[in-house]
Amino acid sequence: MKGVLLSGGTGSRLRPITHTGPKQLVPVANKPVLEYAVEDFKAAGITEIGVILGHKGRDEIQDLLGDGSKYGVDITYIVQGNPLGLAHAAGCARDFVGDDDFVMYLGDNILKSGITDLVESFEAGDYGAGIALQRVDDPQAFGIADVDENGNVTELIEKPDDPPTNLALIGMYVFSPAVFDAIDNLEPSWRGELEITDAIQSLLEDGYEIDSHVVTGWWKDTGKPEDILEANRLVLEETNLTTDGTVAEDATTDGRVGLAESATIEDGAVVRGPVSIAENTTVKSGTYVGPYSSIGANVTLSNIHIENSVVIGDSEITASGRIVDSLIGRSANVESTDGLLPEGRRLVVGENSQLKL
Amino acid sequence: MRIITHTCPDCGTVVAANELESNRVMKCPGLGCQAVLRFDDLPEDARDHFLDNRERYQI
Ligand SMILES: [Zn+2]
Repeated sequence: MKGVLLSGGTGSRLRPITHTGPKQLVPVANKPVLEYAVEDFKAAGITEIGVILGHKGRDEIQDLLGDGSKYGVDITYIVQGNPLGLAHAAGCARDFVGDDDFVMYLGDNILKSGITDLVESFEAGDYGAGIALQRVDDPQAFGIADVDENGNVTELIEKPDDPPTNLALIGMYVFSPAVFDAIDNLEPSWRGELEITDAIQSLLEDGYEIDSHVVTGWWKDTGKPEDILEANRLVLEETNLTTDGTVAEDATTDGRVGLAESATIEDGAVVRGPVSIAENTTVKSGTYVGPYSSIGANVTLSNIHIENSVVIGDSEITASGRIVDSLIGRSANVESTDGLLPEGRRLVVGENSQLKL
Repeated sequence: MRIITHTCPDCGTVVAANELESNRVMKCPGLGCQAVLRFDDLPEDARDHFLDNRERYQI
């Protein structure tokens, strides 16, 4: 079994954050989203991983993952270039995959329960493919699978008006190498892409059995800012957080506080977990860091009240006010206007930024 | 739709035809690999197929 990890895409729904880097590297609980996928592969015993690169952020992704040795895996890069669809991405991996089965994982997704059960379910039978499904409340908005009593897929329907089930495809797949011939025979869809659901449908029509695995824990596609905050909350809720840094005697902390060794919470600061604070970050006097916040490396927080937010890193946040439900990009500073005349807010805001003042 | 790729003989990095064609000659994108990859490294039938259907490989 091999792994194919999709790391292309434009990340347009995550602008301005993705003006300067790929969406798969946005941190959740101070770890790039993509690393969760690599760790899930490793946990499922999959150590040969092909990473599909698009046009955007290739160098950053290669800088992070390297040859995979730091994760105990072996990474091969596959440059897809033009984003011609998930089935095209899979097809580009044909030489890498060879005669093996493979798991295809969307690199901007996070899955609580990992992929081990999906892989085991697929391996227990003789399937052409396996798909991960999750029950949703609004099946009209998703690609939906119909399954028989054995859990075998009988039909895939894109955004059905009259959904036969509420089982949505969530973007995790296992394939036998039979999928490559199916992809070769596909025609681009109305949007000019080779659709992976068309490839699975073609396997079905050729008589292959398609396994399904219903994922019960949470799953998050981190395509939008609010999804990053939600994923951050879900991960902080259950991740192991340890306080390795310095907490001053007159600082107040409660709950689970992840504090990197070189990070400091100074006298007069209050930190209420679950929170993750990365390297070389300082939480100064008068600051409150509330639950479900992740503060990246090299950040100074002073006077601010911040909660349920992600600060990516290299920032000075020193205004006296409340920041909630926010995603603050790298090297963005939020400072006080105290002492500045005339009174008023002063903004230098990049393209596609969103501010609610 | 036929998917055309070229695998670097030195490091195994895979590059799709659209990427090779737009560069014609490129340094292998594999980490630390010094190999040079060319659109002309593809078999002739693959090149012809790509060029005859080029618009399908753009988006
Ligand atoms: Zn190479």
